[in-house]
Amino acid sequence: MFFKSNKKSDNQIEGFSHLGESLRFEGEIDCKGEIEIAGRVKGNIKAKKLKILETGSVNGVINAEEVEILGYMNGNVESVNIHIGAKACVRGQFSFENNLSILDGADISGRVRKAKKENIKKADTDKIKYLEHSKAS
Amino acid sequence: MPSVILRDTKLQGNITQRDSITIDGELIGDINKAEEIIVSENGKIKGNILADRNIEVLGQVVGDLTSDRIHLGSNSKIKGKLFHKSLVVDEGAQLEISASTKNKVNNNKKI
Repeated sequence: MFFKSNKKSDNQIEGFSHLGESLRFEGEIDCKGEIEIAGRVKGNIKAKKLKILETGSVNGVINAEEVEILGYMNGNVESVNIHIGAKACVRGQFSFENNLSILDGADISGRVRKAKKENIKKADTDKIKYLEHSKAS
Repeated sequence: MPSVILRDTKLQGNITQRDSITIDGELIGDINKAEEIIVSENGKIKGNILADRNIEVLGQVVGDLTSDRIHLGSNSKIKGKLFHKSLVVDEGAQLEISASTKNKVNNNKKI
């Protein structure tokens, strides 16, 4: 899994995708880089870095490495780092691995949970050990 | 504010945009009622796209294109029906289309 993500960062491109204020989108987003949302999105988002701007609104499940919410968000967020701005309005469950920061004034209701990432690493090292073992024999 | 979708992004679903939109990534779904749609070289669309003013394609589109003005660039690949007032096709475009010119391009889908 980790090797794969390294490969992807090699052909990474500069800049980020931007969904404008007047945009409405219903469906799934799968972004390998950075994406900024100023419009309305209904559906699941998978991204490396996601930013919901003040005019932005997202309804759905977010799965990203870094999430910054300055607008409206309804649904579950799964991320390594989550940042919630002062004007944000957020409903739903959060699970983060490293950092969660919430600015003064943010409107939040929901559950917050710190997820453990050790499980994933452990499984991987076990797998590597197994593979090495089977190679040797 | 116009939207930009880069080539590391894949969208699945319908877009409604009252502004201009540039797509360099992949879209499976329709674009409704945009003012201008630009499909860049790496852009791939599977679905019907509808713009008021202008559609410019340098990438690939499978589906119907409706706009006042349609410009198909030299490396574009298009498969579908075109409805337009004026059409420009550059040398080298790969087409599998039926085109029909109309005095007035109707935007039936009003949202």
